Amino acid sequence: MDKGRLLDIFRHMMLIRRFEEAVYDFHEQKLFGGHYHLYIGQEATGAAVMASLRGEDRIFSTHRNHGHLIARGVDPKNALAEILNRADGTNGGRGGTFHLADASAGMPHTSALVGGSVPLAAGAGFAAKLQKSGGIGVSMFGDGCFEEGVVFETLNLARMWALPVIFVCENNTPGAVLKSAGGNNTSNLPEGRVIQIPEALGMECHEVDGGDAEAVDSLFADCATRVRETGQPIFIEALTERWPGNYFSFPSRVTGITQVSMAWDGSSIAGEYEDWFRNHDPVLRFARQLLDRGVANSGDVAGIDVEVTETIEAAKEFALSSPVPGTDSVYAHVLAGEG
Amino acid sequence: MAVMTHAEALVEAIRECMDEDPNVALVWGSLMGVGGNNEHVDHIKADFADRIFHPPISEAAIAAVATGAAMDGVRTIFPMGTASFMFRAWDQIIHEAGAAHYMSNGAVSIPVVFHVVHGLRGGGSVQHSQSPQSMLWNAPGIEIAMPSCPADAKGLMRTAIKSNNPTVFIDHQKLNKRSSEVPDGSYDIPFGVADIKREGGDVTIVAASLQVVHALEAAETLSTGGIEVEIVDLRSLVPLDEEAILASVGKTGRLLVVDEAPPRCSVASEVIATVAEKGMDLLKTPPVRVNRLPVHVPANVVLEDYVGPNTDRIIEAAKLLCH
Ligand SMILES: Cc1ncc(C[n+]2csc(CCOP(=O)(O)OP(=O)(O)O)c2C)c(N)n1
Ligand SMILES: [Mg+2]
Repeated sequence: MDKGRLLDIFRHMMLIRRFEEAVYDFHEQKLFGGHYHLYIGQEATGAAVMASLRGEDRIFSTHRNHGHLIARGVDPKNALAEILNRADGTNGGRGGTFHLADASAGMPHTSALVGGSVPLAAGAGFAAKLQKSGGIGVSMFGDGCFEEGVVFETLNLARMWALPVIFVCENNTPGAVLKSAGGNNTSNLPEGRVIQIPEALGMECHEVDGGDAEAVDSLFADCATRVRETGQPIFIEALTERWPGNYFSFPSRVTGITQVSMAWDGSSIAGEYEDWFRNHDPVLRFARQLLDRGVANSGDVAGIDVEVTETIEAAKEFALSSPVPGTDSVYAHVLAGEG
Repeated sequence: MAVMTHAEALVEAIRECMDEDPNVALVWGSLMGVGGNNEHVDHIKADFADRIFHPPISEAAIAAVATGAAMDGVRTIFPMGTASFMFRAWDQIIHEAGAAHYMSNGAVSIPVVFHVVHGLRGGGSVQHSQSPQSMLWNAPGIEIAMPSCPADAKGLMRTAIKSNNPTVFIDHQKLNKRSSEVPDGSYDIPFGVADIKREGGDVTIVAASLQVVHALEAAETLSTGGIEVEIVDLRSLVPLDEEAILASVGKTGRLLVVDEAPPRCSVASEVIATVAEKGMDLLKTPPVRVNRLPVHVPANVVLEDYVGPNTDRIIEAAKLLCH
């Protein structure tokens, strides 16, 4: 057991949680408009996956991308500035919440079209293979992507061409309200599970509790090592309990601001979302695991929270004071210059 | 006359057509975003459960399934949501729906309606702000409707559903919640008949969809400065009411076309080309187009507003044209 590694994963999870809480506030304050998606409830998967990735790896995310960038180590200042569409944002303010990306962090482009990023990640595997970079492509995507044909095409291609790619499907459907019942989008496979599709293509497939950071970490670390060795694609289905705030089309912070003390002080847990706090919230689950295993004590956990909360406060200030890009900038980069 | 929103008017048209014709089917994601307390939504849900299909995120397959069903006379309405998503189904719309009638030498017709919501929505960024009208107009075999107000939306939707051609019905994010008076009862508005939304003698503004709203706002301001604008609301691009455009240009001698697609090969280019071919002698001065700038749509709303055609840019262009 590598204590430092586990604490690092926890720190990233906590950082994502505080980041997303700040994004929610910004949206409530109408500091940015339109639709947006939060990663609350899925922190364990993103943070644990990134723990095994290297500089030469490429990661492609979706409309629900904030947590992936933070876990990858992108500075929350620039990520938050992008969500406010400011000049210091990761995309210079032109991408916004749907499209946070940072080429310098190995996340070159984020598609908000369902399934859009999955083949791009396979493309990164293709490039790594061609250039013998030693890197791998990683696709972080939602279960809904299986409804789009291009995802099947990509899985088939990755197998046929033996591309070093890990497909991480974050299945947040269990427990969700079906769209047909007025809830948010969920996958609609009439029977069975999405994992059966890559299985049918003969791909190595695994499922894991996406809310269990340590489980995701040990599985993913093992898969990453193998993909680097064999060059063959692997599929992982991370099953995640959907955050109750994600049931409807706009996020709603029904579970309030996370009280990390709930990890050691159960007496403060009550009410409608008791089950979420006791059994599902991945941040609290992992904090309890760290305490139980003696990796950290409650003071350490609270200390990490204080530290990341300060980081996010500074990021908020930075983002709010970052300028709006000049209107003339809209003409830049439609086409690239000479190669 | 009842006052209702654009979206409610569409839902009313869909309800009427489903009542009238048992061959009308509906793919129901979120019906034009109209929820709760709507008698038409309730009626459709309760009475046509067997004709409603809930979609997976599969634009391409659904577009082609609707097209295949149309070959046997099922008239499917497929609201695809944000127009950007229809690119997934481009092949099915252009090559199958748009081509089957021609390829069958007229034996097969494709009565299907693809409903999309286009344009700058306020923070939609690059992948949720598309205006596909001019790209679609470049493909033969597809009718294109682009209403600007609830009353037109209702009559045009009825025509789209009854049409034996595939229709792409293009609405705008910013029109959905706008409301105004809609005539009582059922009525169809034929395609290919433009509507003069305002009369004036100094300059013709040709527009469709939200840009008609912008043009009407601009016309108010211009009028106080002594410029009287005539607004030709195209309502449908295919078929195009060339006569109405030429008649208005004949009256004013000046032409400004507003369109949310970028300028090259846009609706504005096509309208101006038509006038150049058929009414060059009517023009007192070179025509002008006001389009989205030829760039992607940035997420920042200040920049989004800057790249889009808006009331200020229309006013500015009309003034230049008239002086
Ligand atoms: C091609 C396309 N169609 C529809 C949408 C609208 N849309 C945005 S998110 C979403 C659901 C995606 O579900 P999933 O992939 O499971 O991701 P989750 O939001 O659950 O994380 C849909 C349908 C889209 N962005 N792109
Ligand atoms: Mg999902």
